[in-house]
Amino acid sequence: MRQFTLFLRLFNWFTVRMLKRHRWRVLTVLLGISLGAAVFTSVRLSIGASLDAFTRSMDLIAGKADWTVTHHGGRVPEEFVAPLLRAPGVAAASPILTAYVHPAEDRGSESGMEAPPFLLVGIDPILDRAVRSWGVEGGGPGRISGGTDLITDPGAILIGKPLAELLRLKTNDRLPLERLRSAQKFRVAGELTTEGLGLAEGGKIAVADIATLQEFTGLIGVVDRIDILLKPTATKQDVERIRSLLPPGVVLERPSEARESGKMMIRSYRLNLSVLSFVSLFVGMFLVYSLIALNARARRRELAILRSIGATPRMIFLLFLTEGGLFGVFGWLAALPISTFMVRRLLSGISGAISHLFVRVSIDRLNLDPWEIALSLAATTGISALAAYQPAREAMRASPREAIDAEGGDGAERTSPRRLAALGALLIASVWPISRAPSPPELPLPGYIATFLLFSGFSLLSPWCLQFVGTRVPPLLRRIQGEPAYLAGRYVRDAGTRTAISVGALITAMALFTALATMVHSFRKTVDNWANESISGDLFIRHQMSETNQYRDPLPEEVVRKLIEIRGRGGVDILPYRRIPLRFGGHPYHYEALDMDVFRRRSRFLFVRGDAARALEKLARGEGVLASEVFASKTGLGVGDRYRAVVEGVAIDLPIVGIARDYRTQGGVVWHSLRALEALTGKREWTGARMFLSGSTEQERSAATENLRSELIRDCAERYPVAVTTGKDLRGEIMRIFDETFAVTTVLLLIALLVAALGITTTLTLLVIERKRQLNTLAAIGAGRNQLRSMILWESLLMVGVGEAVGLACGFALSYILIFVINRQSFGWTFIYSTDWSSVLMSLPLILLTALVAAIPAIRLVLGYSPAMALKE
Amino acid sequence: MNASPGAAPLIEAKGLTRTYRMGASNVVGVSGIDLVVASGELATLKGASGSGKSTLLALLAGLDQPTSGSLTVAGNDLQKATEAELTRYRRDVTGIVFQSFNLLPTLTVLENVCLPALLAGKPYEETRSKASGVVEWLGLRERRDHLPSQLSGGEMQRTAIARALINDPRLLLADEPTGNLDSRNGAIVIELLAELNRASGRTVVIATHGDMADAYATMQITLKDGAIHKILRK
Repeated sequence: MRQFTLFLRLFNWFTVRMLKRHRWRVLTVLLGISLGAAVFTSVRLSIGASLDAFTRSMDLIAGKADWTVTHHGGRVPEEFVAPLLRAPGVAAASPILTAYVHPAEDRGSESGMEAPPFLLVGIDPILDRAVRSWGVEGGGPGRISGGTDLITDPGAILIGKPLAELLRLKTNDRLPLERLRSAQKFRVAGELTTEGLGLAEGGKIAVADIATLQEFTGLIGVVDRIDILLKPTATKQDVERIRSLLPPGVVLERPSEARESGKMMIRSYRLNLSVLSFVSLFVGMFLVYSLIALNARARRRELAILRSIGATPRMIFLLFLTEGGLFGVFGWLAALPISTFMVRRLLSGISGAISHLFVRVSIDRLNLDPWEIALSLAATTGISALAAYQPAREAMRASPREAIDAEGGDGAERTSPRRLAALGALLIASVWPISRAPSPPELPLPGYIATFLLFSGFSLLSPWCLQFVGTRVPPLLRRIQGEPAYLAGRYVRDAGTRTAISVGALITAMALFTALATMVHSFRKTVDNWANESISGDLFIRHQMSETNQYRDPLPEEVVRKLIEIRGRGGVDILPYRRIPLRFGGHPYHYEALDMDVFRRRSRFLFVRGDAARALEKLARGEGVLASEVFASKTGLGVGDRYRAVVEGVAIDLPIVGIARDYRTQGGVVWHSLRALEALTGKREWTGARMFLSGSTEQERSAATENLRSELIRDCAERYPVAVTTGKDLRGEIMRIFDETFAVTTVLLLIALLVAALGITTTLTLLVIERKRQLNTLAAIGAGRNQLRSMILWESLLMVGVGEAVGLACGFALSYILIFVINRQSFGWTFIYSTDWSSVLMSLPLILLTALVAAIPAIRLVLGYSPAMALKE
Repeated sequence: MNASPGAAPLIEAKGLTRTYRMGASNVVGVSGIDLVVASGELATLKGASGSGKSTLLALLAGLDQPTSGSLTVAGNDLQKATEAELTRYRRDVTGIVFQSFNLLPTLTVLENVCLPALLAGKPYEETRSKASGVVEWLGLRERRDHLPSQLSGGEMQRTAIARALINDPRLLLADEPTGNLDSRNGAIVIELLAELNRASGRTVVIATHGDMADAYATMQITLKDGAIHKILRK
């Protein structure tokens, strides 16, 4: 206890008081660390909120069900409910039908925003009691009152409290709803209690009797799924018996399967953004390292004195390590208000990106998960303490003998730049083989390890690079800029690892900037190319909310007839397709059957593997399927492997004839011939269609497109719930979603750069402070103020020049890993490599300019001091 | 071997050598020193710059270790001592006063004085009370809460002496204690060290260029090129 008290006292006397004396320096480091911590925390909390909302919603809707009977891409006939209820081992079976619906009239919220679609859940109020918990406000102990209204009044619905508030509804109000070809006025029979189903979708949910919803949607006799609750005595044989009752295509699975596949996709996204946000903390680590390392050197004599009067090396080590840890703790505390601000801004961006990319999420609350808070504190403190580890070890090696020497000297051991460079080169050489190592699903560990090794390797190269530049360049500088520039070069050569610390931070930030700029540019260019080549077409027709409702609803027969009628008219080509969401193992993907003859005429797949001409021939004949790169990466299937699936109750077993690029994000696509599917199922059902128009000029084609669009709106969209979109608008929407998704990335990148800029300014200032005596000796022997100024500027330029050059090389290598390793391991796709030269070239002079600005405080410090005073000290 | 007759030896050195590696060559700090200093002596170490005064003092203070030979101070074999034993030795056996004062700039006068005792594990209140007494005795009462940067040279050196005394060391070492002081303050510091020797019988070793301490010295050791040139006893 006494030792601990002594340590605290010494920490206060020796460390805290020193930090208090250099408030601005400390505040700068704290700002850097807190920005890093805030980014990390707010990104994790925002994605955590999305993940939590998704999981909760799925669990609440699934209720207590042990198993669920479902039909991927289709619906389950209601007639199975009765046999299931009779099956041995089944305690309860409850059908459920869901649909996203729109309020028909403007019931905009008070903010003036249009009310979003919400989930309408159809259940059997009697059968459902055993499976899901839900209740009605004001209901008795059994809480069935109000629930009975659902059965007795075919137009009754119960709504969640948040939805009631959003639409300003109260009991017995009328709510007109629209879906597909139906519009109906519903009566609000009551509000759901805030439990169970009433909390699903953040409470933006309504419940109706299943028959009411079937009638409203026209889905008579079918349900989404039947949830089953087993008796405690149920056996495996009972489960097999249930399975045997089901027709082909209808499957019995755990309710958690759909939830887990969605969660896995969100988790993968969380990992990517977490790593990206962690970079700000990593750059902040350089900032802490640089301050503590320079403090340890500047206070070397004091350390020797402490040692000479009885302090142990361990105590000195702990003093510095605690200083680092304390930077972490205070940085984390300072991050709390910044995180509160950031999370508000990131939440909608991130949940929007997740909804666009993976699964629909509706966030109703932000949980302050204690685990996330602890993780953020541990990461910030840990990384700060880690940054202090090496300086602390150097400090503990201060010899008490140095206290008696007239010139304390820094006495620090120097590692040879050549040795560091050799280690760096070894790390860089190991990057490629490590990145190719097999990775766990959705967890690109080898890619991240390779990235860390790459950063470390290039940072270790920096002392040698500085030494090299400092040896070769000074003679040239002397001829061009005279003695100050020469001395600057010599200092850069001799400073060793001191300048290398800040150059390492710059390398990290510069590499990150180059790599992300290249990745986003490559991604955008490839997606643009893909959208124009593979998502070609002048007009698109599909159901409104087809994505939201999982492409379950085919185009109305009247719309299909209209499309067939206009086919060939004035050179109009129609490319119909049928899209069905399926799962391969636990992995979700889309099966898409296309009219391959039209597709080959009008569009193009961007092949990654396989012989394009032969593959298309086979595809057109229905003798094979084409898989997207994402599907192939996620399932491990490749060209020549068999694709096996049950589609619409029909088994498909075909070879994969090629792999093509696709950037739809619901887990990949498998393309098949529509004609072959129709021949197998005997049904003609289209999910949507693309239209290609003719015209000798672009204007003619635009005019023809506009005319056809007006005709389709008049004849189809005004009568049926279909959306008619021009190809230009659709592709514009794809790029808008892309840009919105990467807006978060850009924010994270800018913050990392800001932290790096803080790092350079602090380090440069500290380097100058450390050499105050040396610089003032120069002044004393006749160096003018301009010469000193010029010297510091040249030092800054040389350091930043080396940082930019090495950072650029590291950035290009990193961009390769990001595009071909991490993206493939995380999302399953790669892009065509393309360097964003304009951004990179523009950044170079800007960063150089930043370095010059960063040198200003250092110059002011030196020039604002009397040489006599400095030398006297 | 030179010992004061009748008194137990506090310092015993035999063939004491300390060399340093400087690039490709070895530089001799001290070489082949044979020395015995009895308890209660006030010894001065004299010699030109580079004669080995500071090296010998650093060895006596446990700040450095001999390359060869033996050195025993108050029964502590400093040649064989481990890092931890040297730390304990510095805390318990010696107190040192430096030419450039070497006060910790962020600590007040009283805190600087307290620090060695606290590092030695002594209770804070007791240490503080004792330090206050020493500070007062050295005429620094008004300055006890000042930082070193607010003190004059003489005050700083008196604080350094107070710090060296706080653990009641048997051996008080001073490295050019008057080197950064004017003659008046220099005289005060030497008188103080002499008083500490005289009043409590504490052994004091002063490395110095000047002759201010000659009047109080019981033993004058002159070094030349790292070896003992002559020893004069009074």
